[in-house]
Amino acid sequence: MGLGPNDVIIVSDIGCCGLVDPLINSHSIHGLHGRSTALAMGIALGLDNPDKKVIAIQGDGGATIGLQHLLEASRQNISMTLLVQNNQVYGMTGGQISGTSTRLFKAIKFPEESEVPPYNLCDIAYSAGAAFSARVIPRGDFSDKLVEAINEPGFSFVEAHIICPSYGYKKVNELELLPFREETLKTQRLPHVIHKKDTPSLFDSIPKVETFFESNLKSRTELIIGSSAGAGAQLAADLLTFAGIMCGLNATKKGEYPITVGTGHSVAEVILSDEAINFTGIESPDVVIITSQDGLDKVKDRIDDSTRVILDSSLDLDIGREIHHVSFNKKAGKNGAVLAAIAYWIIQSGLLPLEALREAARNHKHANKLIIAIDSIAE
Amino acid sequence: MQEVKNQKVLLDGSRIIIESLVQSGAQAFVGYPITPANLLYAYSKQRFPIFLPASDEITALQWVTGISAAGKLPVTATSFPGFALMIETLNMAYMMELPMVIVLVQRLGPSTGSATAGAQGDVLMLRSCISGGYPIPVFCPSNFKDCWDLSALSLKTANELRTPVVLLTSKEMVMTNRSFNLNDLSSISPVIRKYYDGHDPYKPYQAAGNLVPPFVSLGSDDYLVRLNSSTHNQLGVIQKATPEAMANTKRLKQKIDYYMFKPDNIKYEYDKDDGADKIIVTYGISSEASRTATLLLRNEEEKISLLVIKSLLPVSSEIMNIQKKYKHIIFVEENLTGQMKELMYGQFADSKIRSINHIGQMITPNEIVKEVVSCR
Repeated sequence: MGLGPNDVIIVSDIGCCGLVDPLINSHSIHGLHGRSTALAMGIALGLDNPDKKVIAIQGDGGATIGLQHLLEASRQNISMTLLVQNNQVYGMTGGQISGTSTRLFKAIKFPEESEVPPYNLCDIAYSAGAAFSARVIPRGDFSDKLVEAINEPGFSFVEAHIICPSYGYKKVNELELLPFREETLKTQRLPHVIHKKDTPSLFDSIPKVETFFESNLKSRTELIIGSSAGAGAQLAADLLTFAGIMCGLNATKKGEYPITVGTGHSVAEVILSDEAINFTGIESPDVVIITSQDGLDKVKDRIDDSTRVILDSSLDLDIGREIHHVSFNKKAGKNGAVLAAIAYWIIQSGLLPLEALREAARNHKHANKLIIAIDSIAE
Repeated sequence: MQEVKNQKVLLDGSRIIIESLVQSGAQAFVGYPITPANLLYAYSKQRFPIFLPASDEITALQWVTGISAAGKLPVTATSFPGFALMIETLNMAYMMELPMVIVLVQRLGPSTGSATAGAQGDVLMLRSCISGGYPIPVFCPSNFKDCWDLSALSLKTANELRTPVVLLTSKEMVMTNRSFNLNDLSSISPVIRKYYDGHDPYKPYQAAGNLVPPFVSLGSDDYLVRLNSSTHNQLGVIQKATPEAMANTKRLKQKIDYYMFKPDNIKYEYDKDDGADKIIVTYGISSEASRTATLLLRNEEEKISLLVIKSLLPVSSEIMNIQKKYKHIIFVEENLTGQMKELMYGQFADSKIRSINHIGQMITPNEIVKEVVSCR
């Protein structure tokens, strides 16, 4: 094949076939049971020289442990070869049956399992997209088939049905009893190609916030916003955070929502402070803003005696003292209600100029709609 | 004088970690998305020269290992359920001596737990995840600046020690947005890779004076390389318990201890209050609450010192010696049993060792204050 020792990387699995490394004068790497295909894929993906030949060798035990890797190597058509030496038994642990044991073989060793068919690895690789899939039932030299496989661009798979002198079929002529015949299946596909890219710093794409405004905020102020998924609560909280930074304040913002995104509550926590913010949790919120029933259910227990409560007028809540009831949903619509409520708090508290919130909104792609929501309250 | 450009931004720790790793010389990211590590995946897609989506976490770390063997510096990010799948492969990469960084974002367990709740529940697992109790280096950022510095240090350590390194963080660090001045970050020098260039045939596990074998990429045109996950000799050929193979296996611990216990490599923040007989010991996401609590206590004329551990594992004697000077030690960590406390002082620690623990919610500064004040 014109290959030297340095051109070949043997990736061996666990089992009898895993002892192959020192027998071959080439690069070698000996990994885990069933993972040699995955490891070989990683090597092939990491090499800069595509002319190097990556060859994984595993038994039928490793093949079934790592069946997903066979599917993935085939699907992605990664340039490597996998040779499965299938002797139908786990030879190193006492001759137990494997996922590739035939019904005839199991009828003797494990009759309870004899109706369960073996995996057809060759067909599995082919149907998953391998460029080259072959089964050989060797009675001698089958190097021609291996050469064909190794020369194939993309993923090539060879399953060799072999004998286990201790536990499996012990004679070559017993291989005639296999339910499979030799075959070679090919798919015309381009091999997987790695795309490398030059990328700009992740810091380039985030806005640098200038201090345009002044605030009257003299102590750490903690807000909790309770709303529903899809109502723009997280964006509105982001805009408040940016508005705070534009006033020279330090700010933190975190979101909380169910793991099934797009449903249920959407809660945001914002902290604004003229001093450094270490702890980002909120123990006792200064302000709670609630615009939907989902939000109310989620955050009402966090209201304490000193919390200012700003609530959409459609919602009921009795805390035994004043609540700021305003029809945010009616004035600004479902998607603008949170932002309108934030604008309301800014106006009521006088801690930030409302223009800072407008300025934060102006930088957003939906600036017009956001400013309309803010101004629905300002008016 | 050159005008300093405004660099005040709103960002999360994930962005800082990925930018730091790439600027440090990490070349490939392989991942399978998992909450709360999804932002690390998303930023890696934008930023890494090579980004590979894997079909599962076992595949992810096998690819990482293969890419590392081929000579690149790879990274992955996950949370406990994914990390659990990676542990056998992590042992393999450890035994093969291949550099990589795993960003482990802790979330509430056990099992799948709560994907969107933070935690600090994986420390003891990391201490024991290599069969035989061998150490892996674990760094743990306490704030955004640490996200920057310790990510770079993780890659540097992985490269210099030829070993997997874990950057241990939690949901609050990688998902919470904060205002931050990028000018506060120092510049990063990319790691320098050194390769074997001797006249003799290469022995992949023949260590140099620092106990670390020089590296050659699998597939080299100049030397043949044999890497091995099973017990092996210096040539990388499988062995049983031969003296050479056992010496090689013992060296895996020795090289890490030798490097990690050098004074310059032990990272921590020790805010010493002269005359204090109490110290708060913490790490990761409980650090900020501990800093706030320390300020509150000192405002009330309470003498208190603070130790924030950043080189989390292996535990160094320097970290232990600081604590010896105090009558009362108060551990602050977001897990059920006080894992770092247990690691340092055992399950039946002396009564002078106190512990503030929570699961499912962050520990607050006021809780810490209350506990410290009650120590008499």
